[in-house]
Amino acid sequence: MTIVTSTAASRLLRMATHSRGWSRKGLAGYSFLLPWLVGFFGLTLGPALASLYLSFTDYDLLRDPRWVALDNYARIASSDPKFAASMRVTFVYVMFAVPLKLAFALAIAMILNRGIAGLPLYRAMFYLPSLLGASVAIAVLWRQLFAGDGVVNQILAQFGIHGPSWISHPDYALSTLVALSIWQFGSPMIIFLAGLRQIPREIYEAAEIDGASKVQQFWKITLPLLTPVVFFNAVVQTIEAFKAFTPAFIISGGTGGPIDSTLFYTLYLYQEAFAYFRMGYAAALAWILVVIIALFTAFAFLSSRYWVHYND
Amino acid sequence: MPDLSLTRRSILKAGASVAFAMGAAPGLARSDVRLRMFWWGSKERAERTDKVNQLYQQKNPGVTITGETLGWTDYWPRLATQAAGRNAPDVIQMDYRYIFEYARRGTLLPLDTYVPKDLNLGDFSQDAIDSGKVDGKIYGVSLGLNSTALIYDKGVFDRLGLQQPTADMTWSQYADLAVEITKAAKRPGYSGIADGARIEPAFEVFLRQRGKALYNDDGQLGFNESDIGDWYVYWADLRRRGGCASPEVAALEMGEIDTSLLTLGKTAMVFAHSNQLVAFQALTKGKLGMTMYPSGGSAAKPGPYLKPSMLLSVYTRSKQADAAVQLVDFFVSNVEAGIILGVERGVPASQTVRKAVQPTLDDLGKAMADYISFVSDKVGPLPPPPPPGAGEIVLLLRRINEQIGFGRISTAEGAKQFMGEANAILARG
Repeated sequence: MTIVTSTAASRLLRMATHSRGWSRKGLAGYSFLLPWLVGFFGLTLGPALASLYLSFTDYDLLRDPRWVALDNYARIASSDPKFAASMRVTFVYVMFAVPLKLAFALAIAMILNRGIAGLPLYRAMFYLPSLLGASVAIAVLWRQLFAGDGVVNQILAQFGIHGPSWISHPDYALSTLVALSIWQFGSPMIIFLAGLRQIPREIYEAAEIDGASKVQQFWKITLPLLTPVVFFNAVVQTIEAFKAFTPAFIISGGTGGPIDSTLFYTLYLYQEAFAYFRMGYAAALAWILVVIIALFTAFAFLSSRYWVHYND
Repeated sequence: MPDLSLTRRSILKAGASVAFAMGAAPGLARSDVRLRMFWWGSKERAERTDKVNQLYQQKNPGVTITGETLGWTDYWPRLATQAAGRNAPDVIQMDYRYIFEYARRGTLLPLDTYVPKDLNLGDFSQDAIDSGKVDGKIYGVSLGLNSTALIYDKGVFDRLGLQQPTADMTWSQYADLAVEITKAAKRPGYSGIADGARIEPAFEVFLRQRGKALYNDDGQLGFNESDIGDWYVYWADLRRRGGCASPEVAALEMGEIDTSLLTLGKTAMVFAHSNQLVAFQALTKGKLGMTMYPSGGSAAKPGPYLKPSMLLSVYTRSKQADAAVQLVDFFVSNVEAGIILGVERGVPASQTVRKAVQPTLDDLGKAMADYISFVSDKVGPLPPPPPPGAGEIVLLLRRINEQIGFGRISTAEGAKQFMGEANAILARG
């Protein structure tokens, strides 16, 4: 017991004697971090905590927030059909957009990885949609492309197919948004490309000598060795997909229509907050989304030990 | 040493200039009035408004006005956020739809004490003054009068050899006309009239002709299930006959002028408001005409009403409230300002300004002014402003119509569902 205390005491003593030097160094470090820290506490953490408080209130911006305890959450859980509808739309979107986008990004990355001439040019070209994709201009362009008399249907007409108005039909509107998301495959593609480069050539050569086909090489070598990158991309893209807002907002004019088929969770949250001024309710919706994203991310990390292979 | 003295001298100099600035600042502040003004609207409106503000600055040295403008959809979130941050602009363009909420929540300044010295409403009609009143106090001043108007492309009617619509045409005559247009135009995706079922003002006119209302004084629905049922049936019928836009085409319409089916060249007639004629014409090649929404027949009550197209209000916390009220007064009662503004925000409420503006108007402006005088004796009283939740019901009207249009539910089911959901929204507020 005395030994333990004395170790603790000596540690304390050490900390005390060293603290002057430490704090001077630390001070310099923190002062360099200050711009970021101010931003983090003032613009991220502060508002986030404020919104947590607001989620327990009835707040319309003009009057002071009124404490309602768990009313908002209770309403969401029990009697909000739009919550369920927007959840469904968002989950369908995440379930289709993320795997398809990753598959597409990987396919393009593998094509580019075969050492074609002008790689930097292609890489830039394929990356371009990712830079533009989430912008308002592209969503507006998408509207034009997929309208009843848009370019897509004009092309289909060449093949004798009479396409519907993709963006304004409840059966297809969400799929055009999934397509828009897949089209922005640039950033996962760049990461996949970097990952593919990390795989040693010798392994493929050895496999070829052993008579493995290209398909076998993909499933037995490329994919397992790429799992850390797949994991990273999947987590990032899933979070992005849950947060998707702009395309649905522009394409449906903020309504989530037709018949709520593009009512993303974030769009519903936006409507509650900025169209109907139910800030407290919207804050509660936002925190539910935070929890859902956290659960998904946690699940991805927990499951990763079973399918992600780090080759070290 | 010379270095040091130089430093000391420069410090002294800097100190002196700071002292000068500090001494001078209060003097400046006394004559320096800075006003912020915020409005929604098109580029056309921004140009006219800025011109009036410049004129005001010339006439009132020491006053600086900063204008801010946004589209309708973005305007309200921004205004609410600014009000929450206690940083709203001094002069606020207000809508009849929102004035009760803002006034009752203490955002707007009651203007009664400023009348008539700073705010001259002497030649406003009593109706025009009342349209800016909440609980008996003036919170907004009408910038112009407005009414519902059916806007149509004259060129299309000439080309197809069809008679242009007139103010006495009934709902069923309109249906026949719309079907005729679709048949004569023979273009896929083109139809006689936009899908009006989702247009709240069209539904309101339909209800008022039946002696009903969208909302009554208690903020409850002023109609019942059979009214909304009849409404959806009328449009389902017209859709089946091909007279109005198909649900796929109608869903393209986002409620702004640039996505309206008339602007997109997909229909000959749309439900709109009279002051929007200018903006519609700017985006349409063919010459546009304007008439009243379909008539309810000779036995019907008047459907449309004259409403303030928009109002000017003053922020309660404005530090320059007196100057802000004077600027509002300049906008609504100064003849020079009135001529610059024209009828872009509707026909001026002040008789003097209206008379002065009349001869300066172009054809479009004249058409609009004539329209307002034409409908003046055919309108009913101004309804109470919509209760909280009404904005959500506008979307509901649209969503149920889409469910009917895409064949997901029947009109009867739609009517039932509408009543249920609308009452739930109103109960929540």
